[in-house]
Amino acid sequence: MPDIRISDPTLRDGNHAVAHQLTAAQIARYAQAAEAAGVPIVEVGHGNGIGASSLQVGLSREDDLTMLRAAREKLSRSALGIHCIPGFATINKDLRPALDAGVDVVRVASHCTEADITQRHIDFVRERGKEAFGVLMMSHMAPVEVLVEQAAKMEAYGAEAVILMDSAGAMLPPDVAQRVGGLTRHLSIPVGFHAHNNLGMAIANSVTAAQAGATILDGTARGFGAGAGNTQLEILVAVLERMGISTGIDLYGILDLGDLAEGELIPAVPTVKSISIVSGLSGVFSAFSKHVDRIAKQYRADPRDVFFELGRRKVVAGQEDLILEVAKQLAERSQTV
Amino acid sequence: MNASMRRMIRDDCSRVLDGGIPGLKALQGGVLLMTGGTGFMGTWVTEMVAYLNDHHGLGLRLMLLSDRASRFGASAPHLAGRRDVQLIECDVLNLVELPPEVNWIIHAAADPDARSHASDPLRTIRLNVRGTDSLLQAASRLGNVRKILYVSSGLVYGTQPPDMANIPESFVGGLDCTVPLQAYAEGKRAAETVCAAYRTQIRLPIVTVRPFAFLGPYQLLDRPWAANNFISESLRGGPIRIQGDGQSVRSYMYPADMALWLLTILAQGPAGAVYNLGSPHGITLIDLARKIVPLFPQPIKIVIRTLGPNAPRASRLVPDTSLAQKTLGLEIKTDLDAAIRLTLQWHHFLHAEKVTA
Repeated sequence: MPDIRISDPTLRDGNHAVAHQLTAAQIARYAQAAEAAGVPIVEVGHGNGIGASSLQVGLSREDDLTMLRAAREKLSRSALGIHCIPGFATINKDLRPALDAGVDVVRVASHCTEADITQRHIDFVRERGKEAFGVLMMSHMAPVEVLVEQAAKMEAYGAEAVILMDSAGAMLPPDVAQRVGGLTRHLSIPVGFHAHNNLGMAIANSVTAAQAGATILDGTARGFGAGAGNTQLEILVAVLERMGISTGIDLYGILDLGDLAEGELIPAVPTVKSISIVSGLSGVFSAFSKHVDRIAKQYRADPRDVFFELGRRKVVAGQEDLILEVAKQLAERSQTV
Repeated sequence: MNASMRRMIRDDCSRVLDGGIPGLKALQGGVLLMTGGTGFMGTWVTEMVAYLNDHHGLGLRLMLLSDRASRFGASAPHLAGRRDVQLIECDVLNLVELPPEVNWIIHAAADPDARSHASDPLRTIRLNVRGTDSLLQAASRLGNVRKILYVSSGLVYGTQPPDMANIPESFVGGLDCTVPLQAYAEGKRAAETVCAAYRTQIRLPIVTVRPFAFLGPYQLLDRPWAANNFISESLRGGPIRIQGDGQSVRSYMYPADMALWLLTILAQGPAGAVYNLGSPHGITLIDLARKIVPLFPQPIKIVIRTLGPNAPRASRLVPDTSLAQKTLGLEIKTDLDAAIRLTLQWHHFLHAEKVTA
């Protein structure tokens, strides 16, 4: 049995990077190559998960079921996973048909202090006999004691793993060690970690998570994901292999997968742009970058100021409408001055 | 509930009562009120009392007090409609007065679902502590209370030391009282102290049981407990998923045994005594899964999920039941293999009933 179970959200987090415009054909091609490389979990869908396609956070090119079916057809050994934020995703409208379409792993996510909202969705997934993970997003925003309490709730609800997400790419390795270590000491279920690369720390943070006891790690091909992107999967597998930590993934297969993703899915390979660094420093969700960039231009505000103000207000995903308010206020203030 | 299921429960009651009912004679002709009376424990106690009344002439009247009493008619119509069973719809937190003819009480009202403890620890504590206080205040106004049995929890012991095979009632243990998830266990501990205070100050005759894990009919499979998960996963064709190395140890008592033990401890246990209620025979979770798998015609995979180097060590929660066995003559009449077989049989009946409906 591998030491680390890799979950690959290229086809979900990557969708953020292309304004949710991945096509069914692209999804099918990537899923087939991921299966061939032996990737254990392939996560698919709108960047914010099932049921999230909307004007507020962006409309998907394909509907949820089309994306899931395209991947399902190509996966047999690899599990098909989805991201599921209660509120965006409702049980009857979104989750039930997704499970009917063959989803194996549901990652039920909440803001890092709001695990209570995940109970019914976790219940439903367990009742259907599928794997349910709890996901605590924006986990840099809460101290380790709070994260432990929230994760323990998810475990009590029946989650079979809890994933900490550094959604803003704001953490440094000691933050990861403290948080992941806290969870592994207190939970009786596996702990996972999902990084973003805003401060160039994604690989270092993922390795630190493994050293602190995480046994599930997320990584995406070429780091394709929101903002500065995620942990680059090819590097992660190679580094873990060098460290003697097994993933069960074929190295050449994963290198080929990275090449395929770059050719087939990724219009511009993620780099850590200035705006992403500010997003990481201000602790604001990586997927805000495109919206902030666009709205700041529209109001002639400095996008860096917008990010820092959003960070001061502690905004979280789903509060994208605040970008407009902040940009407008900053623009007005600069005119007054 | 179909005839096969009712027959199965009757056979269970008959089997565990094969030694006769000398330990229950004190209950003859009495009136027993049970809080939490329509839950898992209450339903089994009602089944047992119904059997005792029908086949042994015990003549014990039952009053089932529950905030969901009105739903009992739908879930167990063969019990709700009996002349020796009376339903009282009441939340134990609002309890002021008990029927004056009551002379035996089992206080089992609680919510043992860990999901509720996580989401609403305040209600959990309130139910355990204030619920017990309300019940005992009301009981203190009764004229002829022979005995009150308080149903606490094996969780009051906290973590079982790794070198202790079975937890005796004398183990004081301890819990981390700063952790909200301990609300249930801490609430039960505090409620035991409430019982001790009523016993010494008001002279109420209270005996306590600390239940551990059970496996059998009437248990809901949606509860996220290991045995329930393994059975529900197997019924769906598998795989059985185990977190960690599978070396955590639990023990399971069949509920027909549980019901007989509860009634015997109520009838025979001296005031102030505390008894563990459960099976003393521990089994690792991996071995439990291995016992379940061969009972299905199709192959069922067991998947072990790694927890990493920093994971908490395998835990153990197994009671020492020698006190009840030696002093009250109680026995485990249903071993684990039989409990698993009967539980699966029950769920097959239940499934067949749903399909027919």
